[in-house]
Amino acid sequence: MNGRNLRNDLFYYLGILLICAPFLKMHTVYVPLVLLVAWGVRSCAAFAGESRTFSDIRLKTVNTLVAHQTLAVGVILSAALLLPFASSNYLIDVLTSAILYAILATALNITVGLTGVLVLGFIGFYGVGAYTTGILTAKFALCGFWIALPLSGLAAMLCGVLLGIPALRLKGDYLAVVTLGFGEIIRIFLTNLNGLTGGPNGILGIKRPSFGLFTLDHPRDFYWFSLAMLALIVLIVSRLANSRYGRSWVAIRENEMAAGALGINVFRKHLLSFSLSAFFGGIAGSLFAVKQGFISPDSFTFYESVLVLCMVVLGGIGNVIGSVTGALLLIVVPEFLREFSLYRMLVFGAVMIAFMVFRPNGLLGSRMITQEIQDREDDGQ
Amino acid sequence: MKKLILLAVMCLATVACSKKTGQETGVIKIGAAGQLTGPEAVFGADMLNGVKLAVEEWNAKGGVLGKKIELVPGDDQAEPRQAVAVANKFTAEGVVGVVGHFNSSCSIPASEVYHKAGIPQISHASTNPKLTDQNFDNVFRVCGRDDQQGKAAGNFAVQKLKVKRVAVIHDKTTYGQGFAEEFKKNLGAGVEVVAFEGITKGEKDYSPVVTKVKSANPDLIFFGGIFTEGGLLIKQYKAMGGTAPFIGGDGIMSEELLKIGGPATEGTYATFGPDTKEVPSAKGFNENYRKKYGEPGVYSVYAYDATNILLQSIKNAGATDGKKLIAAIRAIDYSGALGHIQFDAKGDVKESPYVVWKVESNKFKQVK
Amino acid sequence: MFLQHLLNGITIGGSYALIALGYTLVYGVLKLINFAHGEIYMIGAYLGFILISLIPAMPPFLQGNVILMMMVVLIVAAAICALYGFYLEKICYRPLRGAPKLTPLISALGASIFLQNFVMISMGAKDQIFPQTIGMKTITLGGVSFTLLQLVIIFSSIALMALIYWFINRTRLGVAIKATSTDPYMASLVGINVDTVISVTFMAGSFLAACAGVMIGLYYGSINFTLGYLGGIKAFTAAVLGGIGNVPGAMVGGFLLGIIEALGAGYFSSEYKDVYAFFILIAVLVFRPAGLLGKGVNERA
Repeated sequence: MNGRNLRNDLFYYLGILLICAPFLKMHTVYVPLVLLVAWGVRSCAAFAGESRTFSDIRLKTVNTLVAHQTLAVGVILSAALLLPFASSNYLIDVLTSAILYAILATALNITVGLTGVLVLGFIGFYGVGAYTTGILTAKFALCGFWIALPLSGLAAMLCGVLLGIPALRLKGDYLAVVTLGFGEIIRIFLTNLNGLTGGPNGILGIKRPSFGLFTLDHPRDFYWFSLAMLALIVLIVSRLANSRYGRSWVAIRENEMAAGALGINVFRKHLLSFSLSAFFGGIAGSLFAVKQGFISPDSFTFYESVLVLCMVVLGGIGNVIGSVTGALLLIVVPEFLREFSLYRMLVFGAVMIAFMVFRPNGLLGSRMITQEIQDREDDGQ
Repeated sequence: MKKLILLAVMCLATVACSKKTGQETGVIKIGAAGQLTGPEAVFGADMLNGVKLAVEEWNAKGGVLGKKIELVPGDDQAEPRQAVAVANKFTAEGVVGVVGHFNSSCSIPASEVYHKAGIPQISHASTNPKLTDQNFDNVFRVCGRDDQQGKAAGNFAVQKLKVKRVAVIHDKTTYGQGFAEEFKKNLGAGVEVVAFEGITKGEKDYSPVVTKVKSANPDLIFFGGIFTEGGLLIKQYKAMGGTAPFIGGDGIMSEELLKIGGPATEGTYATFGPDTKEVPSAKGFNENYRKKYGEPGVYSVYAYDATNILLQSIKNAGATDGKKLIAAIRAIDYSGALGHIQFDAKGDVKESPYVVWKVESNKFKQVK
Repeated sequence: MFLQHLLNGITIGGSYALIALGYTLVYGVLKLINFAHGEIYMIGAYLGFILISLIPAMPPFLQGNVILMMMVVLIVAAAICALYGFYLEKICYRPLRGAPKLTPLISALGASIFLQNFVMISMGAKDQIFPQTIGMKTITLGGVSFTLLQLVIIFSSIALMALIYWFINRTRLGVAIKATSTDPYMASLVGINVDTVISVTFMAGSFLAACAGVMIGLYYGSINFTLGYLGGIKAFTAAVLGGIGNVPGAMVGGFLLGIIEALGAGYFSSEYKDVYAFFILIAVLVFRPAGLLGKGVNERA
C-alpha cells in the first residue's frame, strides 16, 4: 500500500465521520459503527467494481434457468398454488399484496421495459381502476364486480389515451415528469372530489367478488383468484412481447429514429403500449379495491409509483418474469424486516443500493435484443 | 440463483415456524399498532411508550392470569395497505387484543381483519365516526368522535365567542376534513363561512392560503388538522398582520404547536378532553411517563388507558378468548388516567366530554 | 393582493430555484435524475439547525454579530452538505456508471430512503424548531406585508444564483462542467478529469440545496425529516419546466413555479394548488417539448 492510497483512505473515513458527526451528536460509541459501515460500503463497491465476472457467472445460471423456463414456471406455479395450505392468513395476505404489485409491475414493464418510456406516475392508473370499482360497486352500487373489473381497466385505459396523446410526443425525462404530474393530479382529484370519491375518507364497504353463491371471502380464495389473474396477464404480456407488436416496441426502445425509418408508426405504437399498460394497471387497481374493501387516496402516493418502478428495474427491465420476482422481493422483504422495527426502512434503503451496485441489470438480467446481438457478435469473433 | 431459492425457502420456513411457536409459550400477546416510521412517526412513538408503560406496570404486578404480557409493536406507516398487513400479522401471531391504529384511514380497513378474526381492537386516537359506525362488535375507542368534537368547537364559536364570520382551513385528511365539515355544520345560520380551504400536508409555505383568508377578514379561523401545519399557519397568518384567533381540535393540542408557532399561538383555542395533567387520576401516569420517556404526547395517556382497559378486561373475563374478552370490554366500568370510561353499544366512549382549551402565556389552559 | 401573492410566490420560488439548480447541474453532466437530491436539501436544513443550536458554545465575537453568525452557519452547513453530495455520488452512482439508464434511479431512491430514516432515527421524528432570530417583525408597505427576513432570503437566493452563474461561466472548473455536459467523451480527450467534474457538480448542487434548506428552516421555523420529499418533487418539476440541464432555466422555472402556485392557490382554490403547477407544466411541455429555456432535444442518429 503506497502513501497515496493511505491518504485516500484516511480522507474517506474522516470525511464519513465528519458528515455523520452532527447527527450522532458526537457520541463516541457510534464511531466504530460508522467506520464499520463505511468500510463495508467501500469493500462492497470495490468488490462489485472489480468482479464483473461475478455477475456474468450469475447470468449464466439465470440463462440455464431461462432455458428450462417451462419447467421452472411450472414448479413455481404449483408451489404457489399449494402454498395457502401450509401458511397463515398473514403470509397469504402479504403474498396477495405481492401478486397485485406483480400485476402492476408487469403492466408497467410494457412501457418502461419494452418501449423504454419512463413512467413516474403509474399509480394514477391503479388509483383510477380502484376508484372505478369502488364507485361502481359500493358507492352507487350500480353493478357487480364482474362488470366493474373490465370497466376499471377501460377507465384507466381512457386516462392513458387522454394523457398519452399530448404526453407521448415528448421525450425521455420530460415525459417522465408529465406522468409524475398525472399521478399527482389523479391523487389530488381523488382527495378533493368529495361527492364522487368520498374525499380523504375514501370508499368503504367494497364487497369481495363472488361466483354465484360462492364468495371469495377467505383470504386463501382471493389469493388463488389473484394468482390466476396474474398468470393470465403474465401470459398475455409475454405473448405480446414476442409478437410483432412487442418486437416493434423493442425496436422503438433501442432506436426510435431507426424504427421510424423502418416504417413503424412510433407514436401509435407508443400510445398502444401506454394504454395497454394503463389497462392492466386499472385491472390491478380493481383487484386492490376488492381485496382491501376500503380505498382512500393514501394508497396512491408518488412513493407507490416509485415502488412499482423499483420492482421493474430490480427484477430486470424488460423481463416479464423479472417484474414478478421484483414485486415479490419488494413486498416480502420489508415484511421480514419488521423485526428490525425502527431500523426497517433504513436497512431497506441500504439493501436497494447494494442490490443495484451488485446487479446493475436487475435480478434476472434482461435478455435485451441488443445484448443478444452483442453475444452473437462475441461468439462470431 | 440456487442460493436465492434456498434463502426464500428458509424465509418461508421461519415464517411457518414462528407462527406455531407463538401460542404455546406462557405469554399473553397484545398488539400496538401505529405509524412507527414515516412522516408521522412521532405519534407512533407517543403511543408505543404509553402502551409500554401500561404493560410494564402490569408485568411488574405479575402479569395477567398468571402469565406475562408481551407487547407486539406493528408499524403501519400511516398507510392503509400496511395497516391490513399488520392486522393480519397480529392475528397470525395469536395476539389477543390490539391497541391502535392511529389514523382512521388505517383503523377502518384493519378493523375488518380484526372483526373476522374475532379480536378486540381499541383505538386510542381514530376519531372518524365511520370507525364505530360500521357496527363491528369488536371495535372500541377511548377517544371521542369528530362529530362530537365538531359540535363542541362549533357551539363554542357561536355561543361563547359570538363570531359572525368564520374561515375554515383543513388539511385534506380523513381527520382534518371530517372535523372541519362537522364544525361547519354546527355553526348555524347566523354565521357566515367566508372561506373553506384545503392545504397540502407536509409543506412549509402556506402564505397563499393565509393571504386569501386574511383578505376575507374573518372573526375566527378554524383549522382541522395536525399541529405541524397548524403552527405554521398561525405563525404565517400573524406574520402577515392577521389578528383573528384560531380554533382547532385534538390534532393541534400539543406543546409542539407552541414551539412551531411561537408567540403567534397566543389566544389559540383547541377542543380536547378535560385536563389530565391536573386530574389526580393521571398524576401517577404523568410522573412515571416523564421518568421513562420524557414529556408525554397528547395521545400517550389514551394509549395507556386503552392498554389498561384491554388488560383489565382479560383479567375480568378470566380468559383470552375473543368472544369473552369482547364481552368483558363492553361491560367494563373503568376508572383510569382519563377518568371514568364505559363503552356504548357502538364501542364509543359513553361520555366524551369535549372542552375548550386556550393558549395563555405560552401554555394550554382549559377555558372554564 | 396581487403583489402580496407575487411576493409569496417569489419567496418560495427562490428556494425551488436553488434546489432545482442541483437537479439541473447533475442532469447536465450525467443525464441522470438525482432522486436523492431532495434529501440533501433536508440534510442541509438539519445541519443548519444543529449548527444554530451550537451557537451558545461559539466564541463571543460571533455571537455579537447576528449577520456574521448566520453567514458562518450557512457556509459551514452548506460545506458539510457538499460532502454529502460527494459521498452520495461516490457510493451510489459511481459504481453504476455505464449501467442501464434506470439503474441509478433505484440506488438514488435507496439512498433517499436511507438518508430519511437515518435522520429520523438520529434526530427523532419530531419537528425541530429553529430559534426565532432576526427580522420577524412585519412591515406593511402599500398593502403588502413582509418581514425583513423574507427580503434577506429573496436577496440571498438571487445572490447565490449569481454566484453559481459566475462559477459555471467564468471559472476553469465551471467551464469544465459545461464541457462535460456537452460531451463527456470529448471533454476527457481534452484533458478534463471527468470524475472530478462530476464530483464537483454534485458538491455544487448540494451546496445550493443546503443553502435553500437553511433559509427555509430559518424562515418557516420548523423542519422535519420528510422535508425533502415535497421540496424534491417541486424543485424537480421546476427544473423540467425551465428545461432540465439548463442553468438559467432552473432559476426561471423555480420562480415561475412558486408564482404559479401562489396565484393559483390565492385566486382559485387552494385545494388544487399542486394541480395548477402540473397543468402549467404539461401545457408548457406540449408547446415547448424541452422546457421554457431548453434547447431542442438532440436526436441521436
